[in-house]
Amino acid sequence: MLREIEGSLFKLKLMRDQGRSIAISAINEMGKPSGDLATRVDRLLEHIDIGPVDLDPSGIIRRLEHIIDIRDFRFKDEVRLMVPEADETHVNNVANMLDAALFLNQVYKFVRHFYLTGKKTSSFYVILQLQMILPQVVKEAEAFARALRSFTLGQPMGDGIGALVAARLMYGKEEREIAKDVVVSEVPVEGRTAYVLKAKGPGANVGKPGEAVKQVLEEKEGKIERIIVIDAAQKLEGEKPGEVVEGIGVAIGGPGVEKFKVEEIATKYKVPINAILIKESIGDVVSTMRKEIVNSVDDVIERIKRIVRETTKEGDLIIVAGIGNTMGIAQ
Amino acid sequence: MNETQRVARRMPVFFLAIISVLLVLSFISLFQAVETYRRTGSPDFLTVIMSLSAITLSSYMLLQMRRKPLKLGFEMPKVFTMVQCSSCDFRNVREFQKGDYILKAMEPCPKCSSASFISSIYREAEEKEE
Repeated sequence: MLREIEGSLFKLKLMRDQGRSIAISAINEMGKPSGDLATRVDRLLEHIDIGPVDLDPSGIIRRLEHIIDIRDFRFKDEVRLMVPEADETHVNNVANMLDAALFLNQVYKFVRHFYLTGKKTSSFYVILQLQMILPQVVKEAEAFARALRSFTLGQPMGDGIGALVAARLMYGKEEREIAKDVVVSEVPVEGRTAYVLKAKGPGANVGKPGEAVKQVLEEKEGKIERIIVIDAAQKLEGEKPGEVVEGIGVAIGGPGVEKFKVEEIATKYKVPINAILIKESIGDVVSTMRKEIVNSVDDVIERIKRIVRETTKEGDLIIVAGIGNTMGIAQ
Repeated sequence: MNETQRVARRMPVFFLAIISVLLVLSFISLFQAVETYRRTGSPDFLTVIMSLSAITLSSYMLLQMRRKPLKLGFEMPKVFTMVQCSSCDFRNVREFQKGDYILKAMEPCPKCSSASFISSIYREAEEKEE
């Protein structure tokens, strides 16, 4: 059992080291980095986020959002300091790439911690638990290693399927920035007007879709008949990647800040929410988009049209929110 | 082969040493069996069979120990870019190039001279993937 864990730990260490060197060489390729690049990258790879206190849950979402914003600014500022001449798209891609490298570093350190603790205390149960979860941990680490490659090249990733659907709907239409890093276009859909939202691309970005939905609803004083949210969803073993399913509720992943905002504003104005989900494995979510997932776009658009026809009247206003990382997808 | 794969090729030295010793001993034993046959004229089938079996077994184990390089996930998949015309049915699939992104305006359509754009970028899944 120990040998098995040692093997996985060795693999995780290689992934961590390779991730770090890919990040450094990608930044080097972007231009002339200022200062000692390796030291700066190493400092970021040891970055720790401290979540808000939950002993008093009142206002925790607002506090959590503040911490997420600070982290986002800090990563992007660090990239700007490293490569001052980089444009916004590259800054976003590198910040996300460093995030993936940070994840690989943390996974390696956690696994090493439990392995050494188990050995030091001669605890069979610590080792057993580690051995039980290791295949899943290694699988996730491999997915992030693939993500790191995608970030260096700016290729669209599986998570961006919601943004891709929105981009297809928005093609050729005027867009404006409605919230931080989120753009909106007015698109005619089956005789209704759809406010189609997506994160601002083609740099790696998820934006603040919750804030954008809130802004549209406030602008229209709640006169929105339906909100349709499109996002990638974790597929179960045996399900096909790219399978499209429907549901109700806010399909926005992440820490829950954006989901909370949509739920709150939709409840205030009593707007029904539909979700269209595209099934993907964890490996597909963070790696370059698979053909099967790209092929689901037409099906999703047909479903949007059907939902709009069945649940709204001509002339109504609706919101279509394409959620996900918009890397490699413009508008 | 990239650097990671070279680093990842790790041979268990201890087992390698044992198998090498076994292989050498088997050859010595086979050589002795042949020498004995030359001197006495009577073949020692048991020694020959056992030596050949040991040689086969240790060679097989050596081949098995030649581990495949670890796949870390950094390998580049084949990624394609589809360029589509905005008015006719023209579509062109080519390999992904750095700087490509979806909805990027491309050169006019060779068929109807209308605007064309990148409609999708995707990778073909490996066969073992679900």
